[in-house]
Amino acid sequence: MKSKFFFLVMMFNFIMYTSQAQENFPSVKLKAVSGKVYDFAEMAFSSKDTMIVVSFWATWCIPCVTELENINDELEEKQAIRPFKFIGVAIDDARTASRVKPFIKGKGWKFEVLMDNNSELKRALNITDVPHVLILKDGKIAYRHTGYIAGEEDNLFETIKGL
Amino acid sequence: MKFIVATSAFVLVSMNTFSQSIGQYLKGHFNGSYENYTQQYMKDDEIGAVLPQDRFGSNGFLKLDYNYGKFSAGMQMESYLPAILGYFPLPVNNQTKIINKYFKYTDNRFSVQVGDFYEQFGNGLIFRSYENRQIGINNALEGFNVNVEPTKFMKLKVIYGRTRKLMEYSNSMTRGLDADINVNQLFGIKVKDNTPELSIGGSYVGRYQEYTGAVDNFPATVNAYAGRFDFSAGDFNLNGEYVQKGADPMLLNNQSFEKGKALQINSTFTKNNFGATVTLRALTNMLFKAEREGEFASVAPLNFVPALTKQHDYLTSNIYVYGAQVKGETGLQSDVYYTFKSGSALGGKYGTKIAANFSIYQSLADSFDIFTIGKKKYFSDANIEIKKKWSKKLETTLAFQNIFYNAAVLQSAANQSVIAHVVAVGALYKFAPKKSVRVKLEHLATKQDNGNWASALTEFSFSSPIAFYASDLYNYDVTKVHYYNLGASYTKNATRFSLGFGRQRAGLFCVGGVCRFVPASYGFTATLTTSFAN
Repeated sequence: MKSKFFFLVMMFNFIMYTSQAQENFPSVKLKAVSGKVYDFAEMAFSSKDTMIVVSFWATWCIPCVTELENINDELEEKQAIRPFKFIGVAIDDARTASRVKPFIKGKGWKFEVLMDNNSELKRALNITDVPHVLILKDGKIAYRHTGYIAGEEDNLFETIKGL
Repeated sequence: MKFIVATSAFVLVSMNTFSQSIGQYLKGHFNGSYENYTQQYMKDDEIGAVLPQDRFGSNGFLKLDYNYGKFSAGMQMESYLPAILGYFPLPVNNQTKIINKYFKYTDNRFSVQVGDFYEQFGNGLIFRSYENRQIGINNALEGFNVNVEPTKFMKLKVIYGRTRKLMEYSNSMTRGLDADINVNQLFGIKVKDNTPELSIGGSYVGRYQEYTGAVDNFPATVNAYAGRFDFSAGDFNLNGEYVQKGADPMLLNNQSFEKGKALQINSTFTKNNFGATVTLRALTNMLFKAEREGEFASVAPLNFVPALTKQHDYLTSNIYVYGAQVKGETGLQSDVYYTFKSGSALGGKYGTKIAANFSIYQSLADSFDIFTIGKKKYFSDANIEIKKKWSKKLETTLAFQNIFYNAAVLQSAANQSVIAHVVAVGALYKFAPKKSVRVKLEHLATKQDNGNWASALTEFSFSSPIAFYASDLYNYDVTKVHYYNLGASYTKNATRFSLGFGRQRAGLFCVGGVCRFVPASYGFTATLTTSFAN
């Protein structure tokens, strides 16, 4: 047990004294359904005045899909009031990953969706359950929410408006 | 129980405080999560719930990660006090341990991770290390993982390590290499809209486990190879992967020296509000584990062979679920999604969404040839779901499902096949801001097994963040047993607590195509999840 704590202490010290980079979110590169590749650390660092709302979901998660359908219905209207980017992160693994593109196109969703097929970003951000929504602002997580009950999208839009 | 609640509350409060205060001193990003699932068991003869020696089960997971620039490090502590019933196929009782720890350096086109890591090659048919806490699978490798992009058109992954086996490690070593080549970039073809894109890839995985038996030429090292392609042109995509695995005699495949093979081909097409996909997969002898010994496929797996079927959210649909037959199967799955636009005759004011799915799996005619189709049908599922939003307040769902379930293959040889029909209707009504009620009614009709089932579920949210639910799954034909559940949940930002009481039906509990058998149980269930960051 002592050796494990020693390992952790040494690890943290090493990090503190050696790293010089600016972005502090985990650098996880994910390919979007559109084909574009995003680095989460760069994306989070770029969230200055324009907030980025990131929603973790899966095609098999009914509350996630209900939330995203309701958000999509009002997305353009709300973005016109208070500009923000909206991005979905699908945690579908090899079983359902091939469904994601036809699923979002079939539903007419207009926002970009990143593929997190082995939950790399989900794990790096310590997201235990989906749906899970993050609001990135000024390079930080300004708000996060887990779970969905009807009307949750209204809370999200109110939060965005207030930030 | 008090100890578990007190510990959970202490961890929750202290970690949130710690994460905020540590943010004042550390420049990097500190984040973590805590998850606890606790069950209390009571005797219930009607459903066959047997009391375990310890009337409580509690699984706890504490994960901490720190990231500063190019460096990250973390650990995961798990406690089973003891593990909840049916969670592990082998006893893992009263243990608390830091089981995962890692250190990672990430540069623009290079990363190296030492410690415990998760990785996947292709579709995972020859290698996937991952965590699924609900099912109880964590087959992280302890060793090193290197990802490098030596050129713009090539990505390489290297793995080396030993696989986690429940709360210990397996006695084998696994090494692997995966390469992905973007053909467009290789030939300098600039990608614009609708430019066809092609990428190809290949993987190798080898597992060495010492053999001390008397069989000549016994394969102590088992090698597996895979080749794949991915082609896209505008709205069309076609991808495939072929896999071959060396002889791997073990208890679970009756000491077979036959090679494993698998072929998976997927195609998708999308246009406007339409999307369709079809996946064909045939395989034989594809069980690949870190150790030859043991009678449970879910202990220390090396690859990922999920059931390619739709995962339903209906209580009745989940009575008959398919599990992939790694010894041999062939079949396909197809999905179609379409939205009738708002303003159209069928779309109405808010649009109408349709999702249809079909899957079928059969035996191989020749168990060594994946290009043959046998006559024995294992499973089929044809279903359609229509979702209609009538106003900003009301939304309804109507679903039909037809299931064929070969219980002789999927459960026990003495069981007869089941043909079942499911009808489900649901409604969500927001009667005031932040106040809603959801109702779902289902019926499963079958002449086989335990006959007909009916279920009802309601969720009531009167003021966010609190919600209540009650459900009942009733077999009114043969057993006359009610599986009732009721409970409440409280959600605040990234913290969720729920408390429930009721009956758990014995059967397969499946998440992401991987299943575990859950014994019947009766009693209280408490769940706490929280995520925190500086």
